[in-house]
Amino acid sequence: MGEKQRKLLVLYASQTGNALDAAERIGREAERRGLPASVVSTDEFDTSSLPHHEEAVVFVVSTTGQGDSPDSFKAFWRFLLQRNLGNYWLQQVRYAVFGLGDSGYQKYNFVAKKLDKRLSDLGATTIIEKGLGDDQHPSGYEGTLDPWMLSLWRTLYQINPKYFPKGPDVKIPQDEVIDKPKYRILFHKQEKLEPKLLSDSDIIQRARGMSPGKLFKDKSKPDCFLKMTRNEVLTKAESTKDVRHFEFQFVSSTIEYEVGDVVELLPSQNSSVVDAFIERCGLDPESFITVGPRETENSSFSEEMITQIPIKLKTFVELTMDVTSASPRRYFFEIMSFYATAEHEKERLQYFASPEGRDDLYNYNQKERRSILEVLEDFPSVQIPFDWLVQLVPPLKPRAFSISSSPLAHPAAVHLTVSIVSWITPYKRTRKGLCSSWLASLAPEQEVNIPVWFHKGSLPAPSQSLPLILVGPGTGCAPFRGFIAERAVQAQSSPVAPVMFFFGCRNKDTDFLYRDFWESHAREGGMLSEGKGGGFYTAFSRDQPKKVYVQHKIREMSKRVWDLLCDGAAVYVAGSSTKMPCDVMSAFEDIVSEETGGGSKEVASRWLKALEKTGRYNVEAWS
Amino acid sequence: MDSMMNQKTVLAVTDDVVLPVSSVLAIMKELGKEVIESFDPLIITQASTINQFPLDASSVEAVLAISKTSDFPSDKICGEFSRILKPGGTVSVCKVLEGETGEIQQTIQRRVTLAGFLEPQCLDLKSIKLSTFSLSFGIKAKKPSWKIGSSFALKKPVTNLFKIDLDDDVDLIDEDSLLTEEDLMKPQLPVASGCETTKKACKNCVCGRAEIEEKAVKLGLTEDQIENPQSSCGSCGLGDAFRCGTCPYKGLPPFKLGEKVTLSQNFLEADI
Repeated sequence: MGEKQRKLLVLYASQTGNALDAAERIGREAERRGLPASVVSTDEFDTSSLPHHEEAVVFVVSTTGQGDSPDSFKAFWRFLLQRNLGNYWLQQVRYAVFGLGDSGYQKYNFVAKKLDKRLSDLGATTIIEKGLGDDQHPSGYEGTLDPWMLSLWRTLYQINPKYFPKGPDVKIPQDEVIDKPKYRILFHKQEKLEPKLLSDSDIIQRARGMSPGKLFKDKSKPDCFLKMTRNEVLTKAESTKDVRHFEFQFVSSTIEYEVGDVVELLPSQNSSVVDAFIERCGLDPESFITVGPRETENSSFSEEMITQIPIKLKTFVELTMDVTSASPRRYFFEIMSFYATAEHEKERLQYFASPEGRDDLYNYNQKERRSILEVLEDFPSVQIPFDWLVQLVPPLKPRAFSISSSPLAHPAAVHLTVSIVSWITPYKRTRKGLCSSWLASLAPEQEVNIPVWFHKGSLPAPSQSLPLILVGPGTGCAPFRGFIAERAVQAQSSPVAPVMFFFGCRNKDTDFLYRDFWESHAREGGMLSEGKGGGFYTAFSRDQPKKVYVQHKIREMSKRVWDLLCDGAAVYVAGSSTKMPCDVMSAFEDIVSEETGGGSKEVASRWLKALEKTGRYNVEAWS
Repeated sequence: MDSMMNQKTVLAVTDDVVLPVSSVLAIMKELGKEVIESFDPLIITQASTINQFPLDASSVEAVLAISKTSDFPSDKICGEFSRILKPGGTVSVCKVLEGETGEIQQTIQRRVTLAGFLEPQCLDLKSIKLSTFSLSFGIKAKKPSWKIGSSFALKKPVTNLFKIDLDDDVDLIDEDSLLTEEDLMKPQLPVASGCETTKKACKNCVCGRAEIEEKAVKLGLTEDQIENPQSSCGSCGLGDAFRCGTCPYKGLPPFKLGEKVTLSQNFLEADI
C-alpha cells in the first residue's frame, strides 16, 4: 500500500527506575513483534511536538506515596495543563496510559489517572483503557503490565494491521534476539594515567557522570563531604527499634542550609562484598575503564568517551553499582538466560523471564530483596559481560534524610536522626538497610568522608513569628528538633511565636526520642509550654492496651489546635508515609468541621486544601 | 569647550599634493547629512607613503580618502583607518575622475572589506561640483561597532523543552478537577484468592491452609537435615532460585546433597 512502517513512541516519567523499566519492557515487546519503538523520558521530549505524533504514544508514569509525580514529569505536565490548549490540540494522537502506584496510599496512581483524563480532554483518542500497576499486587506492577500489553498489541492490530505486519502474536523468540547493551566499556593501559591528580569529589563526579543511572546525571558531583563526630543510640536496649542520633561536621567547605532541608548521603558498600562481585564476574578490579553510550546508527563513536579520564574498575563499581542491597529487575534474568551455560540454570532463568514465571520470580527476587551478588551466586554458570552489568545492575542511589539540626543552634554541624533498618524476609532471611546500617557501623575515629548533597525538602523554614503546629511521630521528629532549636536561639533576642508539638512512639521508656530536649522547652516559659500558647503532647501507642497515636492527641486538643490555627498557625507533618499523614489530615478535618459549628467534612477539607495551597500545611513523609 | 568636545573629528587624506578644506567640506556634506558646518578636518596630503597616522586608536569619527592613483589607499593605510576610527565610524574612499574606473572600484571595495570594514556601499559622485577636481565614485563603509578585544555573552540556544518557566503565571487548569469521585475513594487493595496474601492462616481457617502451616512447622529443619541434606526433587541444593514454595531449605545458601550445609562466613553479618 506504500504506507510507511508504523512506529511506537513510549514516553515515561520515572522517579526510582520502575517506570523506566516498564517503559523499556513495552518498547522491547513491541520490537519483538516487529513494531519499532523509541523510549523517551518526558523531560527529554519536546512537548509542543506532541500533537504531530500520528503514531501511537504510550505513557508510563509513576506516582509516589503522596500522589506526587516524578521530577522529570513536572515541566511536561505543566505544559499539558495550560488552559489555552483547547479540546482539539491532540486530536490526531492515539494514546494509552500505564501507571505505577501503590494502592496502600490514598492517592493511588493519581498521576496516571490525571494524565489519562487530561489527554482525553485535549482531544486524544485512547487505544485501550489505562493500566494501573499496583505495588500491593502479589507480583507487583508486572501483574497488571503483562495482560495490559497483550491487550494493547491486539487493539493496535485491529486499528491498523500495519503496526504488526505479521500479526500481534508473532514474536521473534527470546533466545534469538539478544539486544545489544546500551553502554560500552573501554579498558585502558594503566601506565598512561595519572589518577592521583583527582580529588575525591572529582572521582565521584567522574564515576557517577559516566554511569547509566540517569536519575542523578545532573548532580554527579557531591556538594561537599561530611565527617561523623557522634554516633549515639537514642533508643533503649529493650526497644524493638534502633534509632541513632548522628552528628557530622563539614570537611573543607561548608554548605549553608536551613531547618527543614534534606541531606542525601551516598553510602559505601562493604568492600569485601564488592570484591566478591568483581571476582564472581571475572573482572580485574585494578583495571582502568571509561564508560560511555554505545554508538548507534545515529550517533558515531562518542568523543566524550575518549576524552574522559579513566577510573579504576573497582572504584566505578563501588560508587555507582548497587551490588549488595538492591534487587535486579526482570530484564536482568532474561539477559542472564542468554549467558547461562548449564541447562537447568538456563531453563530456570527463561522461566523467570516469562509471564508464567513472574510470580515465582517476584517471590524469589523482589520480596526477598535478593542482591545482584546473591542472584549471580545462585546461577554459577552465568558469566555476563561487564557492559551488560553496567547497564543492568541497579544504580547505587544516595539516601535522603531530614536534617535534625539548626544552623543557628548547631553552627557548622549537621545532625541526623536515623532509624536503623532491618527486617526479616518471607524466607526468614535478615536484611538490613544499606545506608542506615553502614552509618550505624561508623565510628568518629575512623574519619570517613561521606559524600553528600543538600536540597530543599517539602518543609519550608518558618519565620520566627509564625505559630506552628508540628506533628512528628518517631523519626518524624527530626526536622522539628531543628525548628525548635532554631526558635530557641531566636527567642534570646526577640519574641517568638508559640509551637505546639505532637510526638508519638511505641513506649515512653524505650523509644521516646530526645525526651529531655522537648521537655526542657515545655517547661514554664518555654515555647512548647501551654502558658505561652504552645504545647507538647505525646502518644505512646503501646503503653496501654488500646493504641494511642498522634491523631488521637490532636483530636483531644481540638480547642487549642483550632485557636492556634485561627492565630495563623502553619501545620507541619513529618514521618512515616504509610497511614500517618492521612490519619493526621482527617483529625484536622474533624477539628475544623467541629469548631466551625458542625460544618460538613467537605467544607473542612476545602478549608485545609486552601491552607495547603498557601503553604501552611506541609508534609514530608518517607517509607 | 562643550562644542569642541562634541565636534566630530574627521581625517581627510589624499595622495595628491593639495586638498582644499572647502572640497573636503563639500564632499562630507554630500556623503553624510549629519556633518555640521563647524567641524575642522585634519588634512594630510601626499599620504601614499605614510606608515602611521599621528592619531590615537579609536579617536576619529570619520575618514575621507581622496584617491588620485589606484594604489591609494593601500592595504596598509586601510588598516590604519581601521585603527584610528572609533567603533561604528565611517570610512569613505573617493576616486578622482581620471581615466579608468570599473576595476578600481572593485579593488578599493575589496581593500576596505579586507581591512575589516562592514557594509561597503558604492556611491556615484560625478555630480559633486568641486573647484579643483571632480570625482568619479566613492566607497563608503563602517567600522564594526565593537572594539578590538571586546567580548559579549553568546546567547544560549533556547530549547523548546523548557519554554515554560515554572514560576510563570500561565493560566493552568486545576489538576484536581481531572479526578473523578471514584478516584478519590479509598483504593481497594487487590483481592487475592483465599487468604494467600496474609502471613498466617486465619484463626478460623476453612481453606486448609492452617493444616499445611501446622505441617510446615513440623517440617522445621532437623539437625540431620543440616548434617546430611537430602532432596527428593533434586533441586533443594541449588539454592532459593530452584526451591519450591514449601522447601524446608528456603532461605539457606546452596549446598551439595549429602554434605553438611555450611553457612557462608558473612551469612549472619550485616549485609552492608
